[in-house]
Amino acid sequence: MFFHIVLERNMQLHPRHFGRDLREKLVSKLMKDVEGTCSGRHGFIVAITGIESVGKGLIRDGTGFVTFPVKYQCVVFRPFKGEILEAVVTMVNKMGFFAEAGPVQIFVSNHLIPDDMEFQSGDVPNYTTSDGSVKIQKESEVRLKIIGTRVDATEIFCIGTIKDDFLGVISDPGTNA
Amino acid sequence: MSIEPFNRLVKLAARAFYDDITTKGDNQPKSGRSDNRGIAVVILDALTRRQWVREEDLAKDLKLHTKQLRRTLRFFEEEKLITRDHRKEGAKGAKVYNSAVAATVDGLQNGKEGDDKIKMHTHSYCCLDYAQIYDVVRYRLHRMKKKLRDELDNKNTVQEYICPNCGKRYTALDALRLISPVDEYFHCESCNGELVAESDKLASQGTTDGDDNDRRRRREKLEDMLHRVEAQLKPLMDQLARVKDLPAPEFGSLQAWEVRANAVARGANGDNANDSKSGQGLGFGGTPMPFVGETKVEVAFSGLEEKGDIKSDVSVTPMKVLPPWMIKEGMNLTKEQRGEVKQESNMEGTSAAAGLSDDKKSIGFEDVKNIQVKVIAFCMVHYLFLPFSYSALSIFCPVLSCLSSPYADEYIKAYYEALFKRQKEQEEATKMLPETSTTDGVYNTSTGRQVGMKSKREEEDEGEDVEWEEAPPAGNTTTGNLKVDLNVQADASEDDNNEEDDIDWEEG
Repeated sequence: MFFHIVLERNMQLHPRHFGRDLREKLVSKLMKDVEGTCSGRHGFIVAITGIESVGKGLIRDGTGFVTFPVKYQCVVFRPFKGEILEAVVTMVNKMGFFAEAGPVQIFVSNHLIPDDMEFQSGDVPNYTTSDGSVKIQKESEVRLKIIGTRVDATEIFCIGTIKDDFLGVISDPGTNA
Repeated sequence: MSIEPFNRLVKLAARAFYDDITTKGDNQPKSGRSDNRGIAVVILDALTRRQWVREEDLAKDLKLHTKQLRRTLRFFEEEKLITRDHRKEGAKGAKVYNSAVAATVDGLQNGKEGDDKIKMHTHSYCCLDYAQIYDVVRYRLHRMKKKLRDELDNKNTVQEYICPNCGKRYTALDALRLISPVDEYFHCESCNGELVAESDKLASQGTTDGDDNDRRRRREKLEDMLHRVEAQLKPLMDQLARVKDLPAPEFGSLQAWEVRANAVARGANGDNANDSKSGQGLGFGGTPMPFVGETKVEVAFSGLEEKGDIKSDVSVTPMKVLPPWMIKEGMNLTKEQRGEVKQESNMEGTSAAAGLSDDKKSIGFEDVKNIQVKVIAFCMVHYLFLPFSYSALSIFCPVLSCLSSPYADEYIKAYYEALFKRQKEQEEATKMLPETSTTDGVYNTSTGRQVGMKSKREEEDEGEDVEWEEAPPAGNTTTGNLKVDLNVQADASEDDNNEEDDIDWEEG
């Protein structure tokens, strides 16, 4: 689920950026540092949408670096148990398949794949129904439900299922191609 | 509170879940001799026949070793089937417990022989906790079914993987770390062994390396197992449903139970005592007076003849509005019959004694009758002048108090009491029967006569003290006579007093 929240961060800026465009430098550095990271508390920081305030800088003794407390608005993404997500399959193996929904990695084990789909090994490993009408392989888009999350300080990993109503493949790269 | 359905529940649950529980540890070699499977069922069954039971007694009854029993009981305690209580107690506490047991469990042998040497030991008691058993069994069934169902459709279960080499377990949440770059299997982080999916432990062992028909086979197995669970546990579930709305038997804590059981026992004993007492005392209507018992025979003799009359009288009295002193007699009678109050019974005794003395006189001394007649006539005169006035009472009461009879005081007391009661009843009766005023005259005369008898008694007393005192107390007969007398007179409305009285006394 996405949230638009305000976070705060202490930015250290090298003295070489001090000048007319100090502020732009500060923001670009903040974006570079923060976007794409993951915190266990807030989830993945997807994008910074604005700066709330930049506090007074504090010059560090010895180094000349200046620390600015920066408040910024950002969009975060945090997966929850029971949430329905659309994801792209990244890897298929005998144990199940992995998929990505943006920054989040999701594993769907073969027990959570409908029973009528069977694993086909080969050049392109995939799960296919007996009549071959539905196929899950790399790059397939699937809709899945998160049934478990594992949230570390800097990492979020999910396991999902497609064994439920209205879950499963939503666009098959095989048919498109 | 029916305990039977719950006992059945316990028995079913015992057979379903605790049939193969062995109290031996896994490390001990299981020889045929030490195999004590099924003991759990025996113990649970035994507990259904008891309430709180001391564990030594239970062991003795079951011919089990105490340690073995205790181990099983501890297991049951963990399973939340029983509640246990440990307390330090001497012979006294044991006695309390024993009496409680004796009160609640009949036909159960208690090991009483060991009680003598008890000196402040810690004793353990155990008792089935029916309410909790109901919940535990229900929860257990729920978990079983949920596990099977989840397993069946693999819903919301986090897949677990296990390393066959080192036994390390992983969940699907670790999957990202477990993927190996070389093949499509998960590999153990520590030993790099190939991980095996673990959730099919229920259905199929060792076939996990098979292919996808493996999953189908597992599914079939699970379905089969679920069906079997449903079928085999059906009696238990039915019993649960049956028990659902019943209040669970509650024994409370050991102390509370003992207190309650002893109280019940005492109550029962008390009842028994009362019964036996009343059984003995039935003859004299529950009166504690020892000498009245002698009159029993006489009661039987003449009571038979006059029973009908007495009854009719009793049924009539509440209908009529009667002057207090007259109705006192009626009250007396009814109370005698019910055998209620001491005072009344005393009164009965006196009146009976008086009656009997009268009897004697009527039989023995003819001239006494003449005196009686005179007195009655005198009283009649009095009552014509003072009808219905309580001042008449005040006239007679001092006279009564002069009686040499030892019952005189009590007699007067009872007299007043009865009078008071009758006044109340009278008030009620007057409300109910407005036409009573028409019959006043009749009652007047009858009361006159009634009181006349009494006054006659006074006369006798005054004249023949010896007779009065010596007279053995008669039973209800004479009072009954008096009553009958009254009725007849009320019906006959003013006959000749003398004749009437004469006849009556001879009848008695």
